[in-house]
Amino acid sequence: MAHSAALSSEQYNYDIVKKFAIASIIWGILGMTAGVYIASELAWPFLNFDIAQITFGRLRPLHTSGVIFGFGGNALFATSYYVVQRTCQTRLAGGTFWPNFTFWGWNASILIAGLLYLQGFTQAREYAEPVWFIDLAIAVVWVVYFLIFTVTLVKRNQPHIYVANWFYMSFILATALLHIFNNLAVPISLTSPVSYSLFSGAQDAMTQWWYGHNAVGFFLTAAFLGMMYYFVPKQAGRPVYSYRLSIIHFWALSFMYMWVGTHHLHWTAIPDWTSTLAAAFSIMLLMPSWGGMINGIMTLSGAWDKLRTDPIMMFMITALSFYGMSTFEGPMMSLKSVNALSHYTDWTVGHVHSGALGWVAMITFASFYHMIPRLWNTTLYSMQLVYTHFFLATIGTILYITALWVSGIGQGLMLRAFDEYGNLAYTFVETVAFMHGPLVARAVGGLFFLSGMLLMAFNIYMTIARAKQESTVPATAAAKA
Amino acid sequence: MFKHESIETNSGMLIVLTLVAISIGGLVEIVPLHYINETVEDVKDPVTGLDAVRPYTPLEQRGRDIYTREGCYLCHSQMIRPFRDEDLRYGHYSLAAESKYDHPFQWGSKRTGPDLARVGGKYSNEWQVQHLTAPRSVVPESIMPNYPWLQTTNLDMSDLRDRMVALKRVGVPYSLTTVEYEANVKKFGESVAKTLDINRAEDNLMAQARAGNYDGNPANVSEMDALVAYLQVLGTMVDFKKFDEDYFIQFR
Amino acid sequence: MLTDFWTWILDLGNSKTVALLIFFTTFVGIVIYVYSSRKRSERLESYRYMPLMDEDEADKRVKAAEASQAKGEK
Repeated sequence: MAHSAALSSEQYNYDIVKKFAIASIIWGILGMTAGVYIASELAWPFLNFDIAQITFGRLRPLHTSGVIFGFGGNALFATSYYVVQRTCQTRLAGGTFWPNFTFWGWNASILIAGLLYLQGFTQAREYAEPVWFIDLAIAVVWVVYFLIFTVTLVKRNQPHIYVANWFYMSFILATALLHIFNNLAVPISLTSPVSYSLFSGAQDAMTQWWYGHNAVGFFLTAAFLGMMYYFVPKQAGRPVYSYRLSIIHFWALSFMYMWVGTHHLHWTAIPDWTSTLAAAFSIMLLMPSWGGMINGIMTLSGAWDKLRTDPIMMFMITALSFYGMSTFEGPMMSLKSVNALSHYTDWTVGHVHSGALGWVAMITFASFYHMIPRLWNTTLYSMQLVYTHFFLATIGTILYITALWVSGIGQGLMLRAFDEYGNLAYTFVETVAFMHGPLVARAVGGLFFLSGMLLMAFNIYMTIARAKQESTVPATAAAKA
Repeated sequence: MFKHESIETNSGMLIVLTLVAISIGGLVEIVPLHYINETVEDVKDPVTGLDAVRPYTPLEQRGRDIYTREGCYLCHSQMIRPFRDEDLRYGHYSLAAESKYDHPFQWGSKRTGPDLARVGGKYSNEWQVQHLTAPRSVVPESIMPNYPWLQTTNLDMSDLRDRMVALKRVGVPYSLTTVEYEANVKKFGESVAKTLDINRAEDNLMAQARAGNYDGNPANVSEMDALVAYLQVLGTMVDFKKFDEDYFIQFR
Repeated sequence: MLTDFWTWILDLGNSKTVALLIFFTTFVGIVIYVYSSRKRSERLESYRYMPLMDEDEADKRVKAAEASQAKGEK
């Protein structure tokens, strides 16, 4: 049975959680700004300005690394360190040095990797663009992270390990595995950032998409489910709907995700069976995904009125709904017949963003709005601004994905259209011209989302500033007395 | 007896079992690809018996380096799928063998621009140079960035040898010794084997750039020379006219 | 017979079927384990409350503030 013995907040290492949370918000602004900018480059190509460093091809990795590893990664460090301490009711392992090591190591790595992209140094593997020595640095940071997390689990004051920590653990392990194998490469010399991948062609493609999809599966899904399993019950003030369902959810998800990466390579030069297997597993993956979504949403059963009054809860439920939607869309797109149309088009980009903006970012916003006042022992500066942020984020996401449905499905249909003589009905560049409208709408959608992010940064800044004021007032009063 | 409870209360068990669960999928799907021979087709010229797909020449490989540097793969795929529309638009579907010397692969995931797997020989060098420098001057609706610096930047050849040695380490058959050279002669023929000799890499590069004159400026070897040389070889190594129409189906 | 079985299992081409069988069985096992016994169910469900057991001063303070800010609530 679980013991109830809350530690007071001074006994937790909140300092490191605060650092990661602030870094996450800063990276969020940087990464999303880069995103809006490259989206605008696609709509208005003059924005490339003939400057090598800001052309689409060099800025795009900065956007993806910035939001995935900068915003998402820092948010996961912050929340995992917070959740593991509070559910194990013990202080974070590693003293002050090692957690700080993960903080500076992680952020310096992403920053240097990002600056190198602009100079043209990249491994040219999607989402694994950092050069080889950054990969080594990240591997070291990750091992330390794993050790801190594990030792904290081992010295816990609760006999049971809460399920949120299982998800965080599987994220840490999977990321280590993926990172190491996908980045196997031979540098051309010890003083050059350039390297060549160990595998080539078809094998390299399989390794890369095994990585690429599971970065989504474990980095952007499993870990954020860990976030969900802690923060949704906390914010709702009710326990999760079913703990048994969460156990099934965990094992099914951990096992199945790793099989589906090949659906990124349908109809390409890889053996057919891998493709078929991946499609089958992708369909099956719908079940644990929806199990998890239902588990999260039903946590609120009996307290639905909170959805009207609590904007943080609105963020959470919307996030879970987008999770449900994109985990339905994903398996559908992994069917070989649908994929024939959707692959290589903006539909894929839209799908990723319905997960990234709708699920990952929104559950992070909600968790931060819950966690940050507690970290600084204060209250949020403005709940009204959280409402506004919620609407900006939701409108932005919907505009974004709708625009890319139009652009992606439209282009897919145009490319496979034939005229009455059996010739191709459209040239490629006619489809590019068609996409201009949707691409403008997408950039506007992104702008909405970014302004919500800026609003959040302001709200959090004011919250922290006020907390500092509050804490100095009694101190000076005490000093006078 | 085994109990799930022992997983829940033992972090070591949790770690081990989670690792097992997450490793299986990758192991089962990826590892066999390295051992099953049919993964990559054996494409030999029916007349000469030589390998049709060869490693890139030094100039082409340097062009490929620029292709990856500029992030071209983010908007262009190099993988034609076996559909009628793609066959009409781009040509014969891509074979795994055609990218067997690609470190890293550049199949891509998005076609903001058209597929480039068989772009080689489709346009003249002059068109490529003009298009890369100012795409909208030849295709008004294009949304591709201008790449004017390719023409004006001299190709860096200082680390050419390092690059080829590294590629040799990961399995590309560039030759350093006479034994390796002889093996290449047997595999690819003498004229190709010469271009794969690391000891002659710089001379080969200069010679190809001079003979090809890809950027229209014979005075120097620019990054444009290398990139256009690479683009012009894409998809041209296998001559599909020499093969039975359904010869390649057996490998799918 | 038995050698046939082993050669089939050890063939890399069959690895996916083997893995699928093993893990599907494991999965069914987990489902049965989790849902079969009432006592076990009760124990597992008791862990639902773990995140709620660490309520501290900061939690109470934020909750009170959120409740007073929420429209239409007392």
